Amino acid sequence: MSIPTLETARLILRAPAPRDYPGFEATFTSYRARFMGGPLSEYESWMLYAAEIGHWKIHGFGMWVIADRTSGESCGMAGGWFPKGWPEREIAWMIWPGAEGRGIALEATHAARAWLYDRMGWDTAVTYLDPKNIRSVQLAERLGARPDPDAPTVDSHDIVYRHPGPAALRGSQLADGIAMENSTAKALFGTGGRID
Amino acid sequence: MTLHRALPIPTLRTARLTLRVPGPRDVTAMARFYASARSSFVGGPKDPEGAWRQLATEIGHWTLRGYGRWMVDLADTAQTCGIVGLWNPEGWPEPEIGWDLFDGFEGHGYATEAALATRDYAYGTLGWSTVISLVNPQNTASARVCARMGAVREGQVSRPHLGTLDVYRHPAPGGA
Repeated sequence: MSIPTLETARLILRAPAPRDYPGFEATFTSYRARFMGGPLSEYESWMLYAAEIGHWKIHGFGMWVIADRTSGESCGMAGGWFPKGWPEREIAWMIWPGAEGRGIALEATHAARAWLYDRMGWDTAVTYLDPKNIRSVQLAERLGARPDPDAPTVDSHDIVYRHPGPAALRGSQLADGIAMENSTAKALFGTGGRID
Repeated sequence: MTLHRALPIPTLRTARLTLRVPGPRDVTAMARFYASARSSFVGGPKDPEGAWRQLATEIGHWTLRGYGRWMVDLADTAQTCGIVGLWNPEGWPEPEIGWDLFDGFEGHGYATEAALATRDYAYGTLGWSTVISLVNPQNTASARVCARMGAVREGQVSRPHLGTLDVYRHPAPGGA
C-alpha cells in the first residue's frame, strides 16, 4: 500500500511518519483534543497515531500529515477518516498547537477533499463537529460545508456538516474563493519559516 | 504525485503456520476475538469499533517501529488462529513478544510455534540481544507458553488499561 503525496502552494501532504509523532502527541494529550475524544494518555495517543497509519492500509485512504513545503516540519493532519462505527466517510483535520492562524487547515483540507473526490470517487463527505468547536465550525463553513440535520451523528453531541459534492465544487465560486484565500495566506505568511 | 515507499512486512513460515501482514480481511476475526473472554488478558473485551482500531494500530506499529505483530494462519487451511509478534507501543518497558490466540485454536502449540518464529526474527534479522513477554498473572496458558520458550519470570510491571503484568525474560540469542 502506498500513501500518495499531495502538494499545495505552501504545503505537502504526506504519509504519517515516526518523526511526526511529537506534534500528534502534543495535540492529543492536551486540552486541544477535547473536541476529538481527548485528552488522551501518551499510550492512547500513540495507539491512535498508529491506527491513523493502519487506516490507510485498511481503506486505501486516510489522514495525511501536513508539512510545510520549505521547512518540511509537520503542522497537523488532514484527510479522510472512516473507522468502524462512523456512519459515513468523514473529512477531518487537526492542527498542532502553535501552528494555527495561518490558513493551513483550509489549504490542506481543500486539497485532501479534491483527492478523495477525484481519486477515491467519493460523491459526498461529512465532517462531524462539536458545536463548541468554533474554529472548526468556521473552517467547515469556509469549505462550503453546511449542517445536515438528517444525517446520523457519531455520538449525538456532534453536528454533521455535509460538504459540497464534486460536481458542486467543480469550477464553483467556492473553489475560486478558497484558491484566493490560499494565495493571500501565501503572500502573508510565505512558504517558509519555522512552525512553532 | 509521488508515492511513499510502503514498508515491506516479511512473511514467516513454520512447520504448520504462516505469519503474514495484517490487513482489511482481518477485521472480522479481530472483532470476534475482542468480543470473546479470551481477550480479557490483553485489554479486551472491546466492541467492534475498538477491535477495528486495534487492528489499525497493529498495522501502524510496523511503520512506527519497523517491526510489529503478524496474523498467524494455519498453513494447510489458511484459517487465522491468532496474532503474534513484536510489540512496543509508547510507554512499554521494552520490546516484547506477544501472542493472542483466537477462540478454538488453543491446545495445539500454535502460540509457542509462532512466538518462537518471531523470536528468531527478532534475534536473527533485527539483531536484538534480549526480549521480554508481559503476561497477566491469571493467564496460565500464556505462562505455559513462556515456560516452553524458556522464558523466566523476573518481576512485575503495571500498565494503564492492563493492570499488573508478569515480566518474563527470554533466553538470550544462542542460549535458547
